[in-house]
Amino acid sequence: MNTNNNFYTVIYTTIVVVVVAAVLAFVSQSLKERQEANEKADTISQMLTAAQFGSKASFQKIGNSATIAKYLEEISEAYTVNVAGEKVAELPLDKVYSPKELKAQNRLIKNGGDAQIPVFVFKNGTTVLPIYGAGLWGPIWGYIAFGTDNSIIGAYFDHESETAGLGSRIKDDPEFQAQFKAQQPAFGESEIFAIVKGGAPKDASGADIVDNKIDAITGATMTSKGLDEAINAWLGAYSAHMKAQPNTVEE
Amino acid sequence: MEYLSLFVKSIFVDNMIFAYFLGMCSYLAVSKNVKTASGLGVAVMFVLLVTTPVNYLLNKYVLGPDALIDGVDLSFLSVIIFIAVIAAIVQIVEMVVEKFAPALYSALGIFLPLIAVNCAILGGSLFMQQKEFAGVGESCVYALGSGIGWFLAIVALAAIREKMAYSNVPAALKGLGITFITVGLMGMAFMTFMGISL
Amino acid sequence: MNAKIKETLFNPIFKGNPITVLVLGICSSLAVTVTLKGALVMALSVMFVTGLSSVVLSILRNTIPSRVRIIVQLVVVAMMVILVDQILKSFEATYPIDKQLSVYISLIITNCIVMGRIEAFALGNKPFPSFLDGIANGAGYGLVLIVVAFFRELLGSGTLFGLQVLPSCYVTNNLVILPPFALILLGCIVWVQRSIQKDLQEK
Repeated sequence: MNTNNNFYTVIYTTIVVVVVAAVLAFVSQSLKERQEANEKADTISQMLTAAQFGSKASFQKIGNSATIAKYLEEISEAYTVNVAGEKVAELPLDKVYSPKELKAQNRLIKNGGDAQIPVFVFKNGTTVLPIYGAGLWGPIWGYIAFGTDNSIIGAYFDHESETAGLGSRIKDDPEFQAQFKAQQPAFGESEIFAIVKGGAPKDASGADIVDNKIDAITGATMTSKGLDEAINAWLGAYSAHMKAQPNTVEE
Repeated sequence: MEYLSLFVKSIFVDNMIFAYFLGMCSYLAVSKNVKTASGLGVAVMFVLLVTTPVNYLLNKYVLGPDALIDGVDLSFLSVIIFIAVIAAIVQIVEMVVEKFAPALYSALGIFLPLIAVNCAILGGSLFMQQKEFAGVGESCVYALGSGIGWFLAIVALAAIREKMAYSNVPAALKGLGITFITVGLMGMAFMTFMGISL
Repeated sequence: MNAKIKETLFNPIFKGNPITVLVLGICSSLAVTVTLKGALVMALSVMFVTGLSSVVLSILRNTIPSRVRIIVQLVVVAMMVILVDQILKSFEATYPIDKQLSVYISLIITNCIVMGRIEAFALGNKPFPSFLDGIANGAGYGLVLIVVAFFRELLGSGTLFGLQVLPSCYVTNNLVILPPFALILLGCIVWVQRSIQKDLQEK
């Protein structure tokens, strides 16, 4: 067979491309539901981890359906707010925001558009807020949980492609995430939260003092900076809402 | 002004070789002397400059969410489309150059097929998608800058290797071994550009 | 096992190693060798992809028009990689693995080892030997990754597979985690290999 004639070449290429596209489209469509379910369970486990209902590993152990059941048991209200702090819409209780949806809102926050960002309130009074931004290589996002006095009770961050061993520690290093506990973001100020290179202020015993500053990750300057910017941009957008919240202690 | 800072940034700060280590295979294989190295460098620059804007348009008008048909997101196809476009353009460029500029073809020709699998080219398209440029102009400037950065990097390595021919390198380290180490040292030097914002 | 199969299977592990002898697939070896776990995941997925795409292209080898063969190869390889990614993503048990892997997906497509072996071996041989060649090259590649990752994780983080190995008084060396150091380590590996195998030395 002469495989070099033009007609054959064109037909062959067309067939290969069409077959491959069809196979991929079919696979992607038929597996979409399962993938989205996995993604949702993953997001929920991150929110629950931030809100101190367990650790990421413990949710992985109990599986998707148990994790989602736990979430539905604990969540009391979910709604969206705009940057002026007004409630825009109620969300169904099983609705969570995937990184992709956060990305769309992030663009609106950056461009001063009409962002409608989600707030998740749990039955024990904990409020979980998402953040989203750019790290060194790709997007980073995460969830920060607040107690009724607006101090942080926990945080969980995730990333797409930060350097393993350096930037990826925002996700993998429990000590880094534990630093957030008890810190008090200055809602409404120009610098709401700071991840400080070279060390946050410490007390005499060397323990981190409660303010709105924590230590950056050594060797991951760009990722730390990106996380700092993401937190400030998003908490900035939530400022009006968080300050107006009735359960805020000081006003 | 914005174009200028993007241009300078893509040459030095976001250098394809030293910041992202993309396109290493051909970088190491074709850097024995300055002449062939600059041939490959020009070819990479050219292909980057052609493929990145084309993929930009495809990404914006065909692959993005709601781009082609409302409610259809074809972005799962983006990697495969990008790579197909790159391979097709490389092949077309090869044919055109062969037909109309035989002299250039004999100088460049052998490098063209190599470029289809050069990660720097696919990297250019993927970074373009990730950085969400505002227009074709920006993606062109980015592609040109990255191409020049790649060109400079390979010519620099080739020059060092030409000089190294006169040094007394341990027999087992000669060639590939010392080249790896040289590139590592060059990479460390380039790390100083990292994080500079223009 | 006859001699030829043995040769196909064991040559790429040491004597004809894709990274240190053929100089293929360097880019990804820099990105994924910071931790042993990442290197292992990458090694396994490259073995899988090289094996499968070698079989498919070896079956198709007599029908592919030579002028468009690179496009056809790339499309088939990319399809394999995306398929692996999609399938891993759909099962609860494999989802966490995929989350780790998805970073490397585009790296596998442009990994020259896959293309290089298809071009050099699969297009001229029957499916079964091609499969073995693909697997063996993936393994040879993986071996180098694991050696590099071993040193980088040990010196850079003081851990192996995420478990603390060195005493906590060891100050971790961030230089080792940066990509340039992987190149220097590769240079040293080449040095050791060529000291043992003198016929590989360049003049």
